[in-house]
Amino acid sequence: MGKDGSSFFFTTMLEETAKWAQKNSLWPMTFGTSCCGIEMMSTISSTYDLARFGAEVVRFSPRQADLLIVAGTITTKMAPVLRTIYDQMLEPKWVIAMGACSSSGGIFDTYSVLQGIDEIMPVDVYVPGCPPIPEGLIHAILHLQKQIDKSLERKPAEKPTFEDSQNAMSYRKSVDGVKANFIITPEYVNEQKNLRGEK
Amino acid sequence: MKTSSVSPNAKYLATQMALTEYLKTQFGTGRKIELDNFEEVIVWAKDPADAKRCVKDFMTDKNIQMDFLSDLTAYDNKDGEDGDKRFVLVYQLFSRTFHTRIRLKCLLDENESALTIVDLFAGANWLEREVYDMFGIDFKGHPNLRRIMMDERFTGHPLRKEYPMKQREPFKDNIRLHLGANEDK
Ligand code: SF4
Repeated sequence: MGKDGSSFFFTTMLEETAKWAQKNSLWPMTFGTSCCGIEMMSTISSTYDLARFGAEVVRFSPRQADLLIVAGTITTKMAPVLRTIYDQMLEPKWVIAMGACSSSGGIFDTYSVLQGIDEIMPVDVYVPGCPPIPEGLIHAILHLQKQIDKSLERKPAEKPTFEDSQNAMSYRKSVDGVKANFIITPEYVNEQKNLRGEK
Repeated sequence: MKTSSVSPNAKYLATQMALTEYLKTQFGTGRKIELDNFEEVIVWAKDPADAKRCVKDFMTDKNIQMDFLSDLTAYDNKDGEDGDKRFVLVYQLFSRTFHTRIRLKCLLDENESALTIVDLFAGANWLEREVYDMFGIDFKGHPNLRRIMMDERFTGHPLRKEYPMKQREPFKDNIRLHLGANEDK
């Protein structure tokens, strides 16, 4: 307590304590939609034991969680659901994109898969790999802890609005160019066959 | 179907060959019957009505008893490799008694509709919905022919060859739609 009655010491301590508490008790909301989900389960269970880093209380309810781990392929049909879950989580909240699929669409560059969840929500840490090893996810969580206690900078993410996130689900603008070239016709098939020397 | 078993594989091949012979004598008239690289028999039905008749006959015939529908799918025959029609419908049947398989194929034109086999195999319901969703093939008599994978308002059928592979479609309200609040239907 300062001489003039201000409580600088106490607030600083409170902030530090809050940061310490937040970073050591991340409650993950796990969103495992495909193969990466299996690695995530293995990370949480006894062999790798995420409890050592305070993130073992897995909540399947977004209201009680403060870390969203998106592990797996997000289809365009699932994307609005994921965005709703993100909107339902209470601040402060963090997001980890685990694996190539949730970071960038991965191998699925098709009509049905979202090309990275950063099109619909801000992401704090990306974990590369297909799937990432459990150590990768643990590293991401340790990295996130450093962001939370401000020893690492948290990049100001551009936060897409709900409308943005809806529009992100189509590549209509960029697809128009692609469209004209990628229609498969019998002539195209024959041409390809001739190139390969068939028939 | 007598077999002299040396190894399980040889036994399987023997039953499968016996099945092929049986099909050629009993169902061979007017239908093309061929073998694939793994000695599995492919029966080409004459038309969609004939395909349904075949499924029913294979199912009830005491000597083959095809009582399990492994898969029902289709593929796009746009390059005309397997015939002059647009699609090929594929029924993959399995006999739980004899452990043999039959692949039944049927050529379909773009505006021709197939006959549903939901009355024979209840499991065909979702498979036919999938074929409808991906190829736009209509199944006459299906109890609930809606899209199963893509959104109900999706346009186009993504597994047709002319569909641009990367064309996605956004739907603003599909959360509410899935909760059952679809006013315009
Ligand atoms: S990144 Fe690889 S392992 Fe992970 S969900 Fe995608 S395909 Fe599966």
